[in-house]
Amino acid sequence: MASVTTLAAVGQVGKGFIHERTSETLPCQATNKLFCWDWAKENIDRYGTPTLQHLELVGLAVLFGFTIAFTLAVLAYRRRWLRSPLLAATGVLYTIPSVAFFFLLLPLTGRGVDTAVIALTAFNLQVIYRNTIIGLSNVPASVKEAARGIGQTDRQILWRVELPLATREIIAGLRIATVSTVAIATLAVFAGGGGLGAPILQGGIDFKTNIIIAGGIAILMALAFDLILLTIQRLATPWERAART
Amino acid sequence: MPSEKLPEPKSSAGASPVRYAGATKRYPGSAKAAVEDLTLEVPAGEICVLVGPSGCGKTTAMRMVNRTVEMTEGDILIGEQSVRERNPAQLRREIGYVIQQIGLFPHRTIAENIAAVPQLLGWKKERAAARSAELLALVGLDPDLANRYPAQLSGGQQQRVGVARALAADPLVMLMDEPFGAIDPINRERLQNEFLRLQAEIGKTVLFVTHDIDEAIKMGDRIAIMREGGKVAQYATPAELLMDPADEFVEDFVGADRALKRLALMRVGDIDLWKAPLAQVGQATAEVRAELEGAEVPYPLLVDGKRRPLGWLSERDLAGEQVPQRPDSPLGPLLDRDDVMRDALADLLQGEAQYAAVVDHEGRIDGVLSVEIISEFLSSPKAKIEEQSATERPHG
Repeated sequence: MASVTTLAAVGQVGKGFIHERTSETLPCQATNKLFCWDWAKENIDRYGTPTLQHLELVGLAVLFGFTIAFTLAVLAYRRRWLRSPLLAATGVLYTIPSVAFFFLLLPLTGRGVDTAVIALTAFNLQVIYRNTIIGLSNVPASVKEAARGIGQTDRQILWRVELPLATREIIAGLRIATVSTVAIATLAVFAGGGGLGAPILQGGIDFKTNIIIAGGIAILMALAFDLILLTIQRLATPWERAART
Repeated sequence: MPSEKLPEPKSSAGASPVRYAGATKRYPGSAKAAVEDLTLEVPAGEICVLVGPSGCGKTTAMRMVNRTVEMTEGDILIGEQSVRERNPAQLRREIGYVIQQIGLFPHRTIAENIAAVPQLLGWKKERAAARSAELLALVGLDPDLANRYPAQLSGGQQQRVGVARALAADPLVMLMDEPFGAIDPINRERLQNEFLRLQAEIGKTVLFVTHDIDEAIKMGDRIAIMREGGKVAQYATPAELLMDPADEFVEDFVGADRALKRLALMRVGDIDLWKAPLAQVGQATAEVRAELEGAEVPYPLLVDGKRRPLGWLSERDLAGEQVPQRPDSPLGPLLDRDDVMRDALADLLQGEAQYAAVVDHEGRIDGVLSVEIISEFLSSPKAKIEEQSATERPHG
């Protein structure tokens, strides 16, 4: 199977990633302890490019995912009949395993960042779409009625009342989408999209230190994104804190 | 009496009459009209209450005015202009709208909520902010609340903000859909009184929907009692409604306690009070006794130098030469000329008192009210005339 051979092939190359800097094998490297500090010190800079690639993948996928899902949600919120079909469609995209999606796309878009971003974007849609719809639906009917009654147009109600009041749920969706994308983007390497999956695959999955560094960066990245989005949500919804005091 | 001056609404547009001309609302798939051929005129500056059982179409009738419900036939005119000719959103900005669930914007501060319509109308920031502050004061809220969020206010405070928001752009007409329905009884009464006081100042044309006949009688200059299908069973002043119900439906709706309700419409000062013989501390009791002869009230009332009542004198008090410092019987209920008669009766009954002293604004004795006066009043044909003159006065 293609994936197995690819894996094996990259694995072979990977030996170089681990060994190419030091001519001799470091002691802790040989014993493959849980974490080899000496190797880490010497090689940490080599994770820079994969990290930036990873950021790019996640950033683009979330940006596109949000733009598309948000637009669809607003559309479906106005036209109720669209809701279920769109939920089903985004649901299908969400369920397709990412690796399978990459290989499905390869004949169409070739190897590279594009393919990875398309698959990751498709994966994102469901959560953002659903949360946006939920957020909009949770806006109290009395507030919408008052908005209409004082003379706001539908567009004004959407932008000035409904969307601000849905901020919490929308950003909650965005947080889930972002964190899962950070994790799943490690598979982008199979689509030739690089990212933190590259050192994992190239370095061989049997060298623990490598896995821990690459995985650790991904975890930190997920936490950082989550924290940033949480902060944005807090700043964007000052009334929610006020209500609790 | 020159009451403290409330801020005049700037650039007051005044009020417009509202005329329903055969307004009809039919919902598709429903055989019966929700509102059928409604014709009704609400004079400018009056409160018209639409009241009736649930499902009678009163809310639908009200909402056709600002086109949050579109009528299917007929017309509604505000002043001379048909609402059908207007752009709905623009029309609504000229009509104050207050709903039971209040519907304040949770994500906007109180000041921003009040300034919502001015903002839509494109007022300058400073002007809208000034107007917010003015209205906050007008509805009796602390100016410090301006920067709070709705969730930080009590239900009563929130509804005051709701009223302020409706008044912000000085609308020609106000629509109020059970505005005080979700407020607890004590605060509801306070809000009703405040609104009547406010209305006496601003004189808007108000359409007020309620299912509570007592509220209708209290708030309305005119009441339209509606029955299913949005038909008006009777459109009259509260007094007319209570005296001459048009039919059995109205009679039932108004209730068996009509007589008591009439008392809610008048004030203590509207009735002929009895005169009590007055006595002052140190006065010779013989003099007091002489006054008791043939008096309407068989007990003398002790008053101070400024004719403010202190208490009732008993036989024992009159046994001595002079009127004593401390009267034997306490004063009991003390009423003001402006008290609502129904409350006065309640005070009398609650205090188990036969008589209650009535004072004017300065606290000076004005007369005496007794249960007997009230019952005589209710059974006399004169009641009708007096009552009407009582309700024709402006509220407050």
